[in-house]
Amino acid sequence: MQQKKICMIGDFSVGKTSLVSRFVRQAFSDKYLTTVGVKIDTKLVDLVDGRQVKLILWDIAGNGALTTATASYLRGAAGYILVVDGTRRPTWDSAINLQKEVSNHLGDKPFVLLLNKADLRDQWEIGKQLVSSHMAQGWNIIHTSAKTGIGVEDAFSLLSIKMLDT
Amino acid sequence: MSTIPLSIAKYIRAMWVSDMIMTYLQVDRDGNLVSWSGHPHHYGLNHLKTGQAVVEQVPFLEGFLPVRHTEILQFVGTESGSAAHVHLIPTNEGTSILLLDATAEHDRQQKVQQQANELSLLAYQQSRLVQELEMARQALVEEKKHIEQESELKSRFIANLSHELRTPLTSIVGYTELMENVQKDNDEIVECNKDIENAENYLSTVRDNATHLLSLIDNVLEQTQLEMGHVVLQASNCDIKKLVHELHRVFYPAAQEKNLDLRLKITNDVPARLYIDELRLRQVIINLLNNAIKFTTQGYVKLQIDWQDDALIFTVTDTGTGIAEDIQQRIFTAFQRADEVKHLPGVGLGLAISYQLIELMGGELTLLHSSEHGSTFQGSIQATLAHTSAENLSIAEVQDAKEETSKHYVILLAEDVNSIRTLMEFYLQTGGYKVICAENGQEAYELALQFQPDIVLMDLQMPVMDGYHAIEALRNDAFMQPIIALSASSFEKDKEAALQAGCDAYLTKPTQIETLLSTVTQLLND
Repeated sequence: MQQKKICMIGDFSVGKTSLVSRFVRQAFSDKYLTTVGVKIDTKLVDLVDGRQVKLILWDIAGNGALTTATASYLRGAAGYILVVDGTRRPTWDSAINLQKEVSNHLGDKPFVLLLNKADLRDQWEIGKQLVSSHMAQGWNIIHTSAKTGIGVEDAFSLLSIKMLDT
Repeated sequence: MSTIPLSIAKYIRAMWVSDMIMTYLQVDRDGNLVSWSGHPHHYGLNHLKTGQAVVEQVPFLEGFLPVRHTEILQFVGTESGSAAHVHLIPTNEGTSILLLDATAEHDRQQKVQQQANELSLLAYQQSRLVQELEMARQALVEEKKHIEQESELKSRFIANLSHELRTPLTSIVGYTELMENVQKDNDEIVECNKDIENAENYLSTVRDNATHLLSLIDNVLEQTQLEMGHVVLQASNCDIKKLVHELHRVFYPAAQEKNLDLRLKITNDVPARLYIDELRLRQVIINLLNNAIKFTTQGYVKLQIDWQDDALIFTVTDTGTGIAEDIQQRIFTAFQRADEVKHLPGVGLGLAISYQLIELMGGELTLLHSSEHGSTFQGSIQATLAHTSAENLSIAEVQDAKEETSKHYVILLAEDVNSIRTLMEFYLQTGGYKVICAENGQEAYELALQFQPDIVLMDLQMPVMDGYHAIEALRNDAFMQPIIALSASSFEKDKEAALQAGCDAYLTKPTQIETLLSTVTQLLND
């Protein structure tokens, strides 16, 4: 069975840890506890096409730019997930910036961008046009909510398939 | 300088190793675990097996081996909840991996970082709130500005209205006094013919001013009803040619007086009859023609009616002085009037009402162009073709029918105001009807049941018993003859209430004699 390393990258308090918790343990907590360094979780995934893959999830401390520590964590990643807090526009800018830096560091690895906190629609700050323009460039962008679970399974499944097909 | 004794060095090393909870893994070049020592269970690494792939036993090593130079991964969180600094050191035999406990340091950093992040989030929320407050403040400033403008417009309107009301009232009061003087002169038998001519002129002036006053009041009420959304359209079978002929009859004298050429044209493809709210259409075109004649001193005023794509298009063109550009932007706004025309009668409601009525009819009214050579207004409304086989009696035939009808009929007139009752009795007797009068609703009810008149004219606001109750009582007692309600109210809801009570028609006071008699005739003939 294959093992694939995925790194969760994004600004602080966008929901990286909550997404991992939802995906691995189907759990969610409203309490915010900042991540220091990196937390590692694993999950065995059964894909729709019958394939199986063990995902090693690296939940990396939030930052708007690629630090030395973050760069060290990226080594050996088969793919990565960029996470944006849909209620804070600056986190979108961080994600775009991080994607460029990670791409320079890791090379052309598959990734998906998650617009998290989709349950907070009345506070949304990410315009449709912004999203459409990046989707038109071939980016996979998924609306997720670690709180309700919407889009979470799809996001990890999609990235898994992209990694296996690379 | 003396060196530290070996025993002390060993003691320090043992203490450090113990504090760091050091754990050591040795991996060969193939990635298999060769040996281990220390406290792997502290880092959640239970059941380590030598000879097997290390990445399957230590997941966070996936993708890292082999290393070419020493790499340090700081604050790696483990499954057991501890945090470790992981050192990856290349050797000749493969890779040495050192795990050193960093849990305490991790917790200290987490506390500091947590505070910093929460402050940052708070600052962001605060800036967003400030932004929202600023937007709300700006919206309120705009709203305040808008309200102040409306208030100023309304104040100007009231001042203007006061002037507009007082002007015809002054004429009415003045000429009525003159009429009283003529009456006194007649008692002295002076020059009869001259007095009669003067009296006719005075009466004509009183009537014109009263009509103008009524029109003004109607305009104000209509604007109010439009603003409240109370105007209801009533489509009917409309003879377009007849409408245009009537407009010609109404406006020809005014155009002649100013030496203006009045040109009214219907193009060939306009259908003979359309299903449309004729009253409102007439009102709008009258407004436009009125303005055109008012503001044109020479040349012509032209009305053209066209039909295109199931829409009735009416265009009014004049050779007046045109409309200033800054006024053009708000020409259809209520109470707006240019300073240059403030000396002319009007309060700035005609175009606003016309615009709203056309919009209500699903159409459009626009100022096509305006310059010092004149202006052109155009309106268009969708309309459906109406049945064309309706009989059109000639005016003489209608008059004959009225006269023929009136010879045999008795009308009960219920009106509490003496002067109005006398006036209406005079109208009806002139029309050839026999009239029975009542002064209140109770009397009307009793007389109607006693004399069974052919038709009842019922004022709605009366003492003892009002018109609504009188009508309901008559209907409950099987009085089936037609009842016409008379009311000073032009509001739709009052008309609805009267029809609900059981009347057959509703006339608004003051009623023109022609309208009263034709309504009576129509109901008696039904």
